[in-house]
Amino acid sequence: MLETGLIIRALMRNKIGALLIALQIALTMTIIVNAIFMIQDRQSQMLRVSGVDEENTFYLTNTIFGQDYNIQAALQTDLNTLRKMPGVVDAIQINAIPLSGGGWSSGVQTEAGEDKDSIGTAIYMVDDHAINTLGLELIAGENFSATDIQWRKSGQSTWPDKVIVTKALALSLFPDDWQSALGKTVFISQNQTIQIIGILKQLQAPWNGWDGVERSMLVPFQMESKGSRLFIRTEPGKRDQLMPLVEKTLAENDKGRIIGRLRSMEETRERSYQRHNATNKILTTVVITLTIITGFGIVGLAIFSINRRTKQIGTRRALGATRWQIMRYFMVENLLISVVGILIGCVGAVSLNMWLVKTFNLAPINIELILFGVTTLLIVGQLAVLYPARKASLISPATATRTV
Amino acid sequence: MLIMKNISKVFQTADIQTHALRDFNLTVNEGDFVSVTGPSGSGKTTFLNIAGLLETYTSGEFTLDGENIGQLNDNGRSRMRNHKIGFIFQSFNLIPDLNLFDNVDVPLRYRGFNAKERKRRIEENLERVGLASRMKHLPSQLSGGQQQRVAIARALATDPRFLLADEPTGNLDSEMAQSVMSLLEDINKQGTTIVMVTHDAQLAQRSPRTIQVMDGRVSELNLHLATDNQQAIA
Ligand SMILES: Nc1ncnc2c1ncn2[C@@H]1O[C@H](COP(=O)(O)OP(=O)(O)O)[C@@H](O)[C@H]1O
Ligand SMILES: [Mg+2]
Repeated sequence: MLETGLIIRALMRNKIGALLIALQIALTMTIIVNAIFMIQDRQSQMLRVSGVDEENTFYLTNTIFGQDYNIQAALQTDLNTLRKMPGVVDAIQINAIPLSGGGWSSGVQTEAGEDKDSIGTAIYMVDDHAINTLGLELIAGENFSATDIQWRKSGQSTWPDKVIVTKALALSLFPDDWQSALGKTVFISQNQTIQIIGILKQLQAPWNGWDGVERSMLVPFQMESKGSRLFIRTEPGKRDQLMPLVEKTLAENDKGRIIGRLRSMEETRERSYQRHNATNKILTTVVITLTIITGFGIVGLAIFSINRRTKQIGTRRALGATRWQIMRYFMVENLLISVVGILIGCVGAVSLNMWLVKTFNLAPINIELILFGVTTLLIVGQLAVLYPARKASLISPATATRTV
Repeated sequence: MLIMKNISKVFQTADIQTHALRDFNLTVNEGDFVSVTGPSGSGKTTFLNIAGLLETYTSGEFTLDGENIGQLNDNGRSRMRNHKIGFIFQSFNLIPDLNLFDNVDVPLRYRGFNAKERKRRIEENLERVGLASRMKHLPSQLSGGQQQRVAIARALATDPRFLLADEPTGNLDSEMAQSVMSLLEDINKQGTTIVMVTHDAQLAQRSPRTIQVMDGRVSELNLHLATDNQQAIA
């Protein structure tokens, strides 16, 4: 026989304490649900694959200082050396690194003209070894051939006529059917034509926070510039031993330049999401701390109200309540307070989320998360009240006659 | 029927032992109205608490309504309190947050009666103590005498065989005390066995049987006096 009605009526006569705890629960619910939501959002961003074989790739910078230097010949020598090194799968020169935070972008459009809409895409300038070196998957069309590769002078504004795009870019250009992009001619720099000869499954842009992060384009260019990057893929497990070896070999072969800033793709990913990780740690701490504080708040209120009602509890025992019935009283009381708090918390959580959606362009919260918040707080409440309730149940029935 | 044989109760605190009851012997028969008197600290409340199963005893034998109390666990004692014993306290012990109706409802809930049965019993017993019209009032809105009447209604609502009262008139002025006493006498006439602790000699004399507790023992049985009294009243 649950005495819910009596508990509610007794609670209504002691509203303040209960209401304060209910509000604390509501606030906790509002904050933890949204914090967890933000954590999950970041985590799912971090889980996105870049399309690159990150485990087995690294890159370095090549800075030329020698005078009368034959840039084209030197690059060819370097690439030949690298590609022949045991343990190296392939190597390319590249203008930007996925996830690194710095790179090139341009606008692509299906109709020529300044007034037509263009779609932003990351530009990777590479040769026909790019797909193999980066570890990309070509899902339609074909790779560049060696003869497609052109030399690009610094400051050059014209583009080669063939490109390979990611599926995401193809879909943005041809929303009805990404496959129809293959073979199509589209426009870059408003009116220069380029033909899509291949489509990649995935290759992320250098900027992880950009909403177009999946839109990238390979352009068959080798750069004739004094600063460039070389990107190397090794056989599985050989990256760490090859990195110093590659650095040494390149530096010794050609003393007219400096090899530097070797970095693996894994490290690049880690740096790329450093802030995400830090923010998630802070949010996790907030969630845990807030939950614990609320738990202690419940313990505190329960102990206070039990101490205040010692004689009443003794009287209930004298009137025939079993220990379990006393325990249950406080557990049901806590449940009622929690339910009120959680209901307010649901409204709060959804409102805060709606504000976040509007202000920061986040996705709306999902029902599972709300249910998770509800369950968590119900469990926390019941666990928190367990010890005080147990203490109450051990109050002697003799308290009824022994206290004034 | 209540039988206590050689009951003793020792309170053990950090360094002192208090022998609140020693070799306490008492038999209370069905339908009795027993007054318990004695000086303060003599063990009256301890006796009543043990009789009402609010407290356990240290040694001896105690049978209540045929049940060997020493063999009951806490749940068994709770059940017995709920089913067979009604308690009345010096300071009424009504639950301040509940109105009169809900106060009387408390032991009925523990008993597990359905809502209809509870309502019937609450109304009947509040009627019996003359407070049916104030069901929605809170205890704080009543006088002491009225509060004690509600407490009596609450004690009676479960139809107990025993009504135990610890100084039920201790916090009341003499007029109210007399009326509460009359109410108890009525209840006793309808068959409920009553054991009442009181330090009011005049009230004690109104009951058919009086015992005196001295230093944790039943020191004197006052049956004759009680019989005389009854005759005088008659
Ligand atoms: N919980 C307790 N702990 C220690 N001593 C107690 C306790 N309860 C009662 N006593 C002692 O037991 C004795 C009897 O007390 P009590 O039964 O309350 O007497 P009375 O009701 O006759 O005034 C007293 O000496 C009292 O101090
Ligand atoms: Mg006493």
